[in-house]
Amino acid sequence: MIKVKNVSKQFANETAIDYSDITFEKGKSYMLLGASGCGKSTLLNMIAGILSPERGSIEIAGEDMTGKSQKEKDKFRIQKIGYIFQDFKLIPEMTVADNIAILRLERVDISDTDKVLDSLGILDKKNKKVKHLSGGEKQRVAIARAIVKKPEIILADEPTGNLNFAIGEAVIKQLIEVSEGKTLIAVTHDERLGKYFDHIIDMNQVTGGRRDV
Amino acid sequence: MFKFAFKNMAIKKAKIILIVISIVISACVGILAYNVFEQVDSGFKTTAAYYDMIIGPSGSSTQLAMNTMFFTDKPLGTISYEYVEELQKDTRVNKVVPFTMGDSYNGVKIVGTTADFLEGKELDEGEMYSEKFQCVIGSAVAEKYGLTLGSALVTSHGLTEGGHAHEGSPLTVVGILAATKTAYDNVIFTPCETVWATHSHSDEESEEESHTQEQEEPGQHAHTDEASHSDTNDDTHEEHGEVCAILVKSKSFNAYSQLSAEYGENSKLLVINPSEVLREVLENVDMSTQIVYALCIIILIMNIFIISVITLLNMYDSKKEIALMRLIGIGMNKINFVYIIQNGIIGFVSTVLAFVCSRLCLMLMGGYVASMGIVLDITKIYPLEIAIMAVVFVISVLPTVVCTLNMSKKDGINE
Repeated sequence: MIKVKNVSKQFANETAIDYSDITFEKGKSYMLLGASGCGKSTLLNMIAGILSPERGSIEIAGEDMTGKSQKEKDKFRIQKIGYIFQDFKLIPEMTVADNIAILRLERVDISDTDKVLDSLGILDKKNKKVKHLSGGEKQRVAIARAIVKKPEIILADEPTGNLNFAIGEAVIKQLIEVSEGKTLIAVTHDERLGKYFDHIIDMNQVTGGRRDV
Repeated sequence: MFKFAFKNMAIKKAKIILIVISIVISACVGILAYNVFEQVDSGFKTTAAYYDMIIGPSGSSTQLAMNTMFFTDKPLGTISYEYVEELQKDTRVNKVVPFTMGDSYNGVKIVGTTADFLEGKELDEGEMYSEKFQCVIGSAVAEKYGLTLGSALVTSHGLTEGGHAHEGSPLTVVGILAATKTAYDNVIFTPCETVWATHSHSDEESEEESHTQEQEEPGQHAHTDEASHSDTNDDTHEEHGEVCAILVKSKSFNAYSQLSAEYGENSKLLVINPSEVLREVLENVDMSTQIVYALCIIILIMNIFIISVITLLNMYDSKKEIALMRLIGIGMNKINFVYIIQNGIIGFVSTVLAFVCSRLCLMLMGGYVASMGIVLDITKIYPLEIAIMAVVFVISVLPTVVCTLNMSKKDGINE
């Protein structure tokens, strides 16, 4: 379970976002909807330990993440969280397999790589360089890297943002499928994909947008 | 981690090859310059150290030393054999070796001397000459002209090809020297008596053709002065021809000083200490070496700059990659380690390649330096060479360490 309590995040441009309390249940999937700048991605980054809130706490499985050091947050992220970034965050010159093998630097078990790639329908692309893949294939590689380590939480920031609806829908279906039993929080603008999630959260109502500091 | 470092290097191979080439060139020049100077210096000193005095006709000290030690250049002229006999009787002298030169075989110089001159040199085949018209040849001469024991060599007048052939007095090969990769490999040795007798024959033949032989250049015909003036006494002529130089090893430093002063008073003679002359030659070489060193230092400084800039640009390019790794949770210490491994490998490979290149260059230069009688040993490694390699390695790794430490401070996550 993830509990976001009384969190406020301040930005360099002297704006801030205040979050109402939100709880994400274990094993459920959540879709975060909302206008640009309302704090969807910021919330994912705070849960992942990439950003730290100025106020409030984020509890994961009863543990307050905000008090942890960056090193501890990194360790938690690599072990427990699978993060799918909007712009994939893949090394284009490397192969699909090598992009996943980066996780080995932190001794993460990636023995299920072939199985995961197969479930996402890209096993035949395993030894291809990422720069030679299509947008949909790249997104699947990003998903594969996020789930191969069997994380407890999957965070997806605009996983369909660079894809057309048909491919985006296929990617979301696969994401839901591979996230079974895990907590999935996905940010997306496309309301049509809401039917695949257990819960839809309107972030405009959670934060009320940005305020000046 | 190593696997990832190698893969990461493979995708940047063009940049990495440039860095390696840059490091290899500068390091190779530095190592090579130092090694060659040290080996030439020690080779000169070793060669020159055995004899403490060389006596020849007046002229250039360097020419006399180089001609007798390394068989280069022409002899200065000739001096009477009486000086040899005089020195042989002198109790202050340990060893006297006459040295004469003036003929050649297909351009290969023929040195007339006693067997003492070849003391310490190993024979690959045959034995040392014991009679006139016998000769011992250098290994390269044997190989080049397919000469074996018993081969007859028709020598010619002068030190270059095209001189008058001494067909009536061929030399017989009785020994072949083992290869030393020195000037000895390219020379033919024979007793002085051979040279005198050859010219006695030659002069008799020449006299029939022409009675108006002009006086020759020193070294073109080093032994005919007496012959041309004493054609009535061949035996005396053979035993008391002239020599180009006399190599002397005296019994003590005092003996050397006295002898040097005594013979130095004779205006017709030039008395040199080969060590001193070669030291002067080395001082000139040393100056050139210092220029090379200065250039090496400049190249190394430029390379520190170039390598640093390339590494910094490389690291700047890698910022996205580092941020990516940080976002998925890879710790900064692991990332630092990957980049230090990468640059460590580049530094190590470059240093090893620089060393290998320096040895290849030494091999190539060996032939040229061997003509001066010095063997360049490619297995010889000086401590300073190791120091140069260590500096090169540090230069290649240091900018990365600085960069990664700097990134560690910023955490690398928000790049």
